[in-house]
This record gives sequence, structure tokens and C-alpha cells, in this order.
Amino acid sequence: MSALESSAGAPAPPWTCPFCPLLCDTFGVDTAAGAWALRGSDCHRAQAALARFGAAAPSAAPQIDGSVCDLDAAVAAAARILAASRQPLFGGLGTDVAGARALYPLASRTGAICDAASGPVLWHGLRALQDRGGFTTTLAEVRTRADLIVCLGALPIERFPEFLRRCGVGEGSAAQVVVVQSAAESDPASAPAGIEILRFEGDLFDAAAMLAAQVAGRAVGAPDGPFAALAARLHAARYAVLVYETPRLPAHGALFVEAVNRVVATLNVRSRAAALPLGGIDGASTVNAVFTWLSGLPLRTRAAPGGLEHEPLRFDAQHLLDDHAVDALLWIASYGTEPAPPAVDLPRIVLGHPSFAAAAQGPATVFIPVSTPGIGSAGHLFRTDGVVLMPLSSIRDDGLPGVAEVLGRITRELGA
Amino acid sequence: MTTLRLRGGRVIDPTGTAADAVRDLGVRDGQVVALATGAPVDEDIDASGCIVMAGGIDMHTHIGGGKVNLARTLMVDGQRDGVNPFALPTNPLEMPSCGGCAPGTLATGYRYVEMGYTAAFEPAMVAGNARHAHMEMGDVPILDHGAYVMLGNDELFLQMLHEGGAAGSNFEQIRDYVGWTIRATKAMGVKVVNPGGISAFKFNQRRLNVDENHVHWQVTPRQVVHTLARAVRELGVPHPLHIHGSNLGVAGNIESTLETIRALEGLPAHLTHVQFHAYGSEGPKKFSSAALQLAEAVNANPHVSIDVGQIMFGQTVTASGDTMRQYAQSGLASPRKWIGADIELDAGCGVVPFRYREQSYVNALQWAIGLEIFLSVTNPWQVVLTTDHPNGGPFTSYPHLIRLLMDRGFREEQLAKLHPDVAAHSALRSIKRELTLAEIAVMTRAAPARLLGLHDRGHLREGAAADIAVYREDADREAMFTMPEYVFKDGTLVARAGRITAVPVGGTHFVEPGYDTAIEKVLRRHTEAHGLPRFDHVVIGHDELCRCCNGGRLLPTACFETEAR
Repeated sequence: MSALESSAGAPAPPWTCPFCPLLCDTFGVDTAAGAWALRGSDCHRAQAALARFGAAAPSAAPQIDGSVCDLDAAVAAAARILAASRQPLFGGLGTDVAGARALYPLASRTGAICDAASGPVLWHGLRALQDRGGFTTTLAEVRTRADLIVCLGALPIERFPEFLRRCGVGEGSAAQVVVVQSAAESDPASAPAGIEILRFEGDLFDAAAMLAAQVAGRAVGAPDGPFAALAARLHAARYAVLVYETPRLPAHGALFVEAVNRVVATLNVRSRAAALPLGGIDGASTVNAVFTWLSGLPLRTRAAPGGLEHEPLRFDAQHLLDDHAVDALLWIASYGTEPAPPAVDLPRIVLGHPSFAAAAQGPATVFIPVSTPGIGSAGHLFRTDGVVLMPLSSIRDDGLPGVAEVLGRITRELGA
Repeated sequence: MTTLRLRGGRVIDPTGTAADAVRDLGVRDGQVVALATGAPVDEDIDASGCIVMAGGIDMHTHIGGGKVNLARTLMVDGQRDGVNPFALPTNPLEMPSCGGCAPGTLATGYRYVEMGYTAAFEPAMVAGNARHAHMEMGDVPILDHGAYVMLGNDELFLQMLHEGGAAGSNFEQIRDYVGWTIRATKAMGVKVVNPGGISAFKFNQRRLNVDENHVHWQVTPRQVVHTLARAVRELGVPHPLHIHGSNLGVAGNIESTLETIRALEGLPAHLTHVQFHAYGSEGPKKFSSAALQLAEAVNANPHVSIDVGQIMFGQTVTASGDTMRQYAQSGLASPRKWIGADIELDAGCGVVPFRYREQSYVNALQWAIGLEIFLSVTNPWQVVLTTDHPNGGPFTSYPHLIRLLMDRGFREEQLAKLHPDVAAHSALRSIKRELTLAEIAVMTRAAPARLLGLHDRGHLREGAAADIAVYREDADREAMFTMPEYVFKDGTLVARAGRITAVPVGGTHFVEPGYDTAIEKVLRRHTEAHGLPRFDHVVIGHDELCRCCNGGRLLPTACFETEAR
């Protein structure tokens, strides 16, 4: 039992928090009171997400054009929208392995283009990986092995509040944490003592390129500048880890990821180092992994008449919507933490957390509330390192169908 | 009750009393049965002019799990059919899936089945990635599947080995840990990859010979191999320790391979993709074939089996748990990019694209070495046919490989196209042996089934599961083995002349050895101390396995009784 659990008085049930890709399983949820509370952690992100559940949770029934209906009618209406569509877009993709497995046959059947709500962010990492490769590590390796953790851009505790604890910082890890951030950024709030902050002027790309050049021993920048010292420390480290948050990356973030990977590659010639990207939120990396294994290709692919077309730039969901290049939208958002379904003038099918009911009103919209994996139903999600597929258990049956069930029914309805 | 008669085919079943005979084969409810002559059946198929074999079993093929999905991701440009996207299937039973060197799971299932294979085993499941591996295998349609869990580079094992000292005073505890890991991850066996070397690389050690110490844990690969082989044996796991040895791809590594065999001290083991471990360092290029030395060792050690890991010319991608060696080879990547990872105090992975070229001396010699091994090991029951898909080449090249083994003229034609030094001097030129259909049936069916402890697969005796491939007799063995006329999975017709006819969900093979549960306390402490997923989340139960595997049948294989238990 960890110190956190014991301090809470009772062991936490084996629960996996599905609300960020760290997928912590060392704390639990107290459901006794009306509003659900975290037990064993003060993660503000989990707390905020949990506020959508428990007694405070909105209830919702399926709706067609804003009118309540039963599930059968909603499924039939959704199938009609897809049957009439010449080019549907499946967006959001806030689901788990089971949902993704059920989505693929429907996407194949309808020729839909699939892209996650965080698609642009997902692609920074994928593009860098496909162009040059990379070397990564996992959370337990960082916790056990790292003696230098360099967080590039910011200390990632706003989006990933449990990050430092997962790395063992403040819990006996000897790792030094250095945050490399823009001079324009304010200091991280509530950072534990001992964390160093290294500021740079200019943008993140320049900073990463400068660091990569100095690590490679090229004569750039001031020899007594901050990056020169950091480069020396990276070389001296037994196991250096470079951490960055993919959701923070600006446009062309792949170039930044490449620079990080160059630093790691240079270090690995003589010592050991690895990257740890933090990202893949709301099921995005999980759905991408499932599509990749089923089809051999990642998201932003469609089963077109000419074959399986993978177009990582053209099949960006937002571009397709902006260009009116699609004529129907299926939006999946089962966690409640995703962006709301876009208000577009297209026939829409929304499979979402009940709190999205308000955003799924209006004409030509079918709304089907679905169960949340890890809350109302069991499931599986990939952790941020892409290695560990964590099992999610349900806290309480919410009586809602899972995404996989609804998609399966729509697919069968279309087939009939 | 459904019955089927395959009438008048030439049945090749090296395990049966009639190993090669023209006869009828009966099937009832998914099992091979003796049907009375003239007894009415639901379906009667004329198999005259056909070769009838049990369904193929690939016991070493990277079909699912983290590194395979990384390989797909890395090779995204290769997921095309020439310049065009892969065409959508014309068969409504199939879903779209790319068939490049790192095919999607759907294409993997369809293409294996169309070749007459009915089972495939993922050889490198990382314990921390086990659910993912089972998920992918569950999404390989039709084929039965299973996986070997990787041990021997996890820090807990190495720590225990270190603590036990040279005397191995805590062997029972290690054995319990191995047993628990197999059960928790629902594995079919245990694989060790570069024993101790993946972990050593995390400590910045760049090579590790069989008797060299791991820089941190101060244990040797010899100790790792022996301890694991003994643990697997004493747990009664039918498949002996699956070994990817030290120094993969290094010139002169035959010494490591022979030392690894000695480290077993008579314990059974399976040495995998030995082609990559049978290199000498002679000649002007300091790179030579040691196939004969290896074959001699295999012939002299009947407790050792091998699979070959034949290379095939063309583009592929190598996906391995051997981070140390993949890092060392990453400079040879073609195209020039690669992915590596240190994984969860457990293992690692390295994904390196390769193009094997006929005009490369090294590649040509690798090709010849693989064939020399196939043709120099006397007992076919000790050799399993693999390309270590996709590492040596894609599994779809098996029919070509079979022709190379069965047809000396064809083999020499191919040899003549290679780098001139290899074409002129390879020992392969003097090997006259041509494998028989019975020997191919052993290497692709019967031997893998026996090595895995699958009593009702790999043969066609009464009681066997009706996994059957019916090939139209053709002197061109490549054409023959490319497209069987009929393929049955548990009695269901799943492919007819290269077209999928049914897509049942395959079953999952696994073993559940017993162990002393006292070890669980140690494991709970270990997972908590290192921030690993909590102990209860590591264990995959039967219900969850079933969900992972898409509702396919669970096929537990019995362990055998051992004195230690």
C-alpha cells in the first residue's frame, strides 16, 4: 500500500482513473456521498472529471432533433444519416479499445474518414516517428532509473497532475528535474522544492534546436550559456529522460519532436537517454493504436473506392469541416472531458457523455448518451507511453449502452 | 452434427501409421473421425489429385503486440501496393487491411489462412504489454493463437538471480515467479531474448557474451538461460524455454550459440531464428557461415529444437525485443530510421527497417546459411520452418521457401543470382538434399504442435481437431503451397482456392502452471515500490482474456507432471 492510500484510512479499490493518459491506479473514488470524491489523491483533473458523475450527474435519454426517443429509434435514425451520406466524418473518438474495435467495421462499411479531436496533436508525434523514428521510455523506467528529468516547455503538472509522483519525485527518487521554459511563461504553480527552471528567450523550436546542437557538440550559442550547461549535464547523466506534453505543441510540432529525438539519439551514442511524450488524451492514442493494428494504417485513413487511403494532412477533421468536404458527422465523446461536438450545419450523430446533450440539440442531430469506460463500464486504454494497456473497471453501472454496443447496432442496421 | 468426407486425397501425416497414403479423411463436428466407407455425409469433397495435410502452425511469427504496431507505424509509407493504396477486398467477408511487410491483423489472418495455416504464435509478448498482445491476436481472424512471455531481462528476475548467488539458493522462488508470470499474462511459454542483455543496455552496457557479467546485477547470460530453462521444465510447461540467444547478427556469434546450448546442461530448449546466430568470422570479409557447426550441435543434442528465421530478399522491417542488438544494427536501417524503447523494468524493443539485397555479400550469405541449416539438421522434428516474420521476411514467402527446400534445381538457380562470392563458394552448392512432403509436414505442422504440447493439432489422426489444408498436387511446390484448394478450421471451410469463405474467431492457447502463491507478496511489494501497475491489474483473468481475444475459445493446454511439483 502506498503512503497515499494509507493516509486516506482505507485501501482504495482497484480503480484506474480514465481521465488522463497516466491512467493512475493507486487512488479510488468515494461514492458514499452525493458528489463523488477522490480518495488518495488531490488530482484536480480527476476531481473535475468526476464532478460530471455521481449524484450530480445529468441523466439523459437518446434524442432525435432534440426530442427524446428510445434507443432503437435513435440507432435507426443514425443509420439513416450514414446511409444517406456520401462522405461521413467520424470525429472526437473519445472511446476505448472496445469502441475502436466496433468503429472500424462501421468506418469500413461507410468509407468514413476518422480523426480524433486531438488529431493535430497526435500527428506531431506520429509524423516525427514516421520520418525519423525515436527512442522512448515508460513510467516505471523513469521512476526507477532516471537521474535527470528534463521537462521541455513546462512542468507538466497542469494537464498531468500526478506526473511527478508517478516519476517518484518527492518519493525517494534521486532524479533531478529541470524545467526548460519560455521566459514569457510564469513559474509552475505548486511545484515541489528542488525543481530547477531554465528559461529561454524565443520560441520552443529554437530552444529545442539549440539544445540539440549543443548536445551534439556543435559550436552554437554561448559556451557559458544555460543550454551548454544543460547539455553537459545530459551527457553526464546515467539515464536522462526528456519529457514534453504533446497538447502544448504549436503548429508544426513534429519539428520540435524531431529535435527532442535528435537529443536522445546523440546521447545514446555514449550514455543512456530516452524521451517520454505525454499525450494521447481522451482515448485518441488508443483508437489510433486499434486502427493501426486492424488495418496497418493509423487514423486519417478511409476505405475509399480506390483502396485504403491514408492522408495525414488532407484528412484533418477540422479542415474537412471548414472545407465542407464531408456531409455527415459522427462524434464520439464518452468521457465527458472531450470538446463538445462541433456546431456544424451537417447531419450529426453524437455518442456522448450525458453532459453533451445540450450541445447535441438542433435539427438533423441524433444524440445517444453512452457509458463512460472506467466509470459506468469496464474497458481498456493505452497509457501515455503506449506500452501498458490498462484495464478500466466500472465504479457503478450507469445503465447506459457502451460505444461498442451502439456502433455495433448501427452497423447491423446499415447491413440490413 | 455435421459430417464431411475428403475423398481420395494423398494424406500426408508423419505422425500416423499411414504417413503417406491415398485415403479418405472423415470429419464430424470439427474433429477428424473414422467414417465407415459409404456412410452418408453432409458434404463429400473429391480430393483426388490433392495433398491433404493438417493446418499449418507457425510457432514464431510477430503478429501482435507493441513492437508490431510500432513497425506498422514506422512503415506507413510501405503500406501501399506499389504506388497505389491497397485495394479494398472484393470479398464481403473481409474488412480492409494492408498487407505490407507489417500487415494489419486482419490481413495477417486472411493471408495465413489462404496459405493453409490455422495457428500462429507471437513469440515476444512483454508482460507489461500482454493485454495489448492478446487484443491484437484476438483481432487476427480465424487463426488460433498464443504467445510466449518474455522473461530474463526483467529487473525482478535478475535481482532474484543475483540474490541467489552462484548456488541458486532461491531457485524455487524464481520458479514460482516464472509460473505466476505465465499464468498472469496467459502465455503459452517463456521466451528469453538476449539473456540479460536488454536490461544491461538500460545500464549502458553495449555487449554481453554468454559468460560476461551484467554490469549491474553481476549475473551472466549462462545463469539466466539455465535458470529459466530449468524453471520452465519444472513447472511442466510443454513448450521448453524459447531462446533468442546472445549476440544476434554478430560475426562469430556461433560461439555464443554453442555456449548457450552448453548452458542448458541437457535441459530441453528451443533456439529461435538460429540463422541470425550461426555466423563465423572467417574469410576475407570476416563473416562466414557456421551453419554446419550449428547443425552438428543440434544433431548431437536431441533435447534442442530450432526454428530457422530464413531471410528473404526485399524490403522488410525487423521488430525485436533485443534493444541492445537493434541499437547496434540501427545504422544499417533502410530506410534510415528506427524506433527503440526501454520498457517498464521488464523488456525493451527495437524496430529497424531492413532491405535484404541479393547483391549484398552479407545478405546473400545469410540466405544461404538459413537454407544450409534446414538441409543439414538430420531430424526434421528438431526444425521448424520460419522466417521470423517479419524480421527475415514476411510469412507470405513460405511457399517460396518450401520450394527452395524441396527443389534443388530451383535453389541453385536462385543461388546463382546472388553476390558472386556467395554463389561460387557457399556450402549450399554441394548440398543435394531435397526435403520431402512428409518432412515439410513435420516442419510446418507436426513438430510445432509437438513442441507446444498441442495434442490435437498438427496431425490428422482420429480425434484431431479438423484443421486441414488440401493442396492441389503441383510439381511447382511454390504454386502448390501458395493456394490450397480447401482450408478447414475446426471442420469449417474457411478458404476455398484463395478466397476466405468464413471468418470464425480463433481460439487462444495458453498454459496455467501451478506455483506457490507466497510469491505474490513479493510481487505486490515490487509493483508498488517501482510504480508499476498495481498487482491486481497485472493479472489477466479468463473473462478478461476472452474479451481481449474477441470472444474466441479459451484453449488451455495441460502442463505435464514433474518431480518438482
